[in-house]
Amino acid sequence: MSIIYKKYRKFYYLLLLPALLLYACSLLIPLFGGTIPYSFLKWNLMSGKKSMAGISNYIKLLSDEGFRTAFFFNLKLGVFTIVGSNLAGFILAYFLNKNIRAKGVIRSLFFIPNIISSVLVAFIWTFIFSQILPNIAELMHWDWLGSISWFGSPGTATFTIILVSVWQQIGFLMMIYTAGLQTIPMDLIEAGKIDGCTGLRLIRDIQLPLLMPTITINLFVSISGAFKAFDVPNAMTAGGPYGTTMPVAMDIYKEAFVKYNMGYGSAKSVILFLTVAVVTLIQLNVTRKREVEY
Amino acid sequence: MREKEEKEKGGIVATIIMLVLGILFVMPILLLVMNSFKPYSDMIANFLAPPIHFTLDNYKTAVERMDFMQVFLNSAYVTGGTVLLGVLVSFLAAYGIAHITTKDGQLWYLLFTLGQIIPFHTIMIALQVMTTKFNMNNSLTVLICLYSGFHCAFGIFTYVGFLKSVPKELEEAACIDGCSAFRTMMQIIFPLVKPTSITIGVLFFLWTWNDFLMPSLMINETGKRTLTVMIYMFRSNASSDWNLLIAALTLSIIPIIVLYILAQKYITSGITAGAVKM
Repeated sequence: MSIIYKKYRKFYYLLLLPALLLYACSLLIPLFGGTIPYSFLKWNLMSGKKSMAGISNYIKLLSDEGFRTAFFFNLKLGVFTIVGSNLAGFILAYFLNKNIRAKGVIRSLFFIPNIISSVLVAFIWTFIFSQILPNIAELMHWDWLGSISWFGSPGTATFTIILVSVWQQIGFLMMIYTAGLQTIPMDLIEAGKIDGCTGLRLIRDIQLPLLMPTITINLFVSISGAFKAFDVPNAMTAGGPYGTTMPVAMDIYKEAFVKYNMGYGSAKSVILFLTVAVVTLIQLNVTRKREVEY
Repeated sequence: MREKEEKEKGGIVATIIMLVLGILFVMPILLLVMNSFKPYSDMIANFLAPPIHFTLDNYKTAVERMDFMQVFLNSAYVTGGTVLLGVLVSFLAAYGIAHITTKDGQLWYLLFTLGQIIPFHTIMIALQVMTTKFNMNNSLTVLICLYSGFHCAFGIFTYVGFLKSVPKELEEAACIDGCSAFRTMMQIIFPLVKPTSITIGVLFFLWTWNDFLMPSLMINETGKRTLTVMIYMFRSNASSDWNLLIAALTLSIIPIIVLYILAQKYITSGITAGAVKM
């Protein structure tokens, strides 16, 4: 075999070229030739001024109230969404793995929101919150429901965004938990039952430890997803009221495409990139260590 | 015997509970679809009432006002192009990587797969500046190339994992029979990895069809807008025409649901396989 490899070596390298070209043009060059160098520039597109700024953008970031608000909102959104969707996804996967009929159909129902564009999902829920719920409140004379302004206060706006994000992600996580649960050998569960381990203890002491690889994956997916939050808040609240529901990605967007501060926006992008990279690396390391073998 | 009966009964009760939960879960979508068939006055009077005065007027007006056919074709072109180009370049590169046995192979693999952790939002400014500079915005074909570049990180990652399980003897036999390297790849290995190709293709379809941010940054010309962007624009310009908006939303969801029904097996297996291999 190795002879063939040597004979066609050039051919194999040639195969990399098209992907490399596209990959470099769309990811590597913009990141290393754009975002990173721009972040050291003082550059406003409206005034057209462009000058070297050293690390002043990064220093400015340390005391940027708006960016801090966005960062903490993003953390809050991430934590609630990750915990909520993983818990619900696991519970659904657990019950749908039992003696139940029409599993495929039921799983599909929970999965469908996940394949619809986030922008559309946000509008579907805007329709529910801004049209249907007030209508129900009126018809049923439920004043408490009618008096809630879903997008009007920071608290309710945050709640709706979390709810919609969880709604969209449950199905995906459920599918992966299902696949994980199906890889646990039945005899391990039987053995546990014989030893008197049942119910919640069976889940906690046998199933969850064996599911660690799956949990790793789901956390990886949902954490990196949390930092990419943009579509749902953008389409539902547009960051309002008063910028209280603006995640980091949206803050970057506003900085660059509303205020035209390309340099400063790029510095924010670099921070976002580093955060995502560090968080995912730490998380992969931590959960990988807790995986058990059988 | 009795035990079995009881077990089945339990199964039915649990099935009904889960089914009801599932229907409640997708209720927002059901309400959306149902209301899109009602005249505006009926709709705002009671959103929960069934469509007694069934009408397609909402659809007619929405299709006209949004130039829906054009927008739909734009989305279809970008998505179709990305699926074809993305799957092809991913396969070629993954095949190459799987056959470069020296350390180089691993390095290339790492370079490509690491791309998966770069969020689009960290490069959107640079992409926008660069495409404007080279006059490459407002081109759907450029969009296809960019998407293929992004998605190939995942494509290569998945293909390499699958190609490792293909027995080497197949290729050796082909080589001994005088089959060229290119033909071996295209006529022997490519058909073998068909399930993976479909899975990757379906995921590329979903990611591209559903994307909003990139086309909204790259495309300014009205005639070149994609579906998600058009819906977004319509919502900002005519925010009170909910009857039209929900008709348009329903129309945009249909292709995705059809795809899901057709390729359900590949979507679920793709998502789980892709994730589990990490």
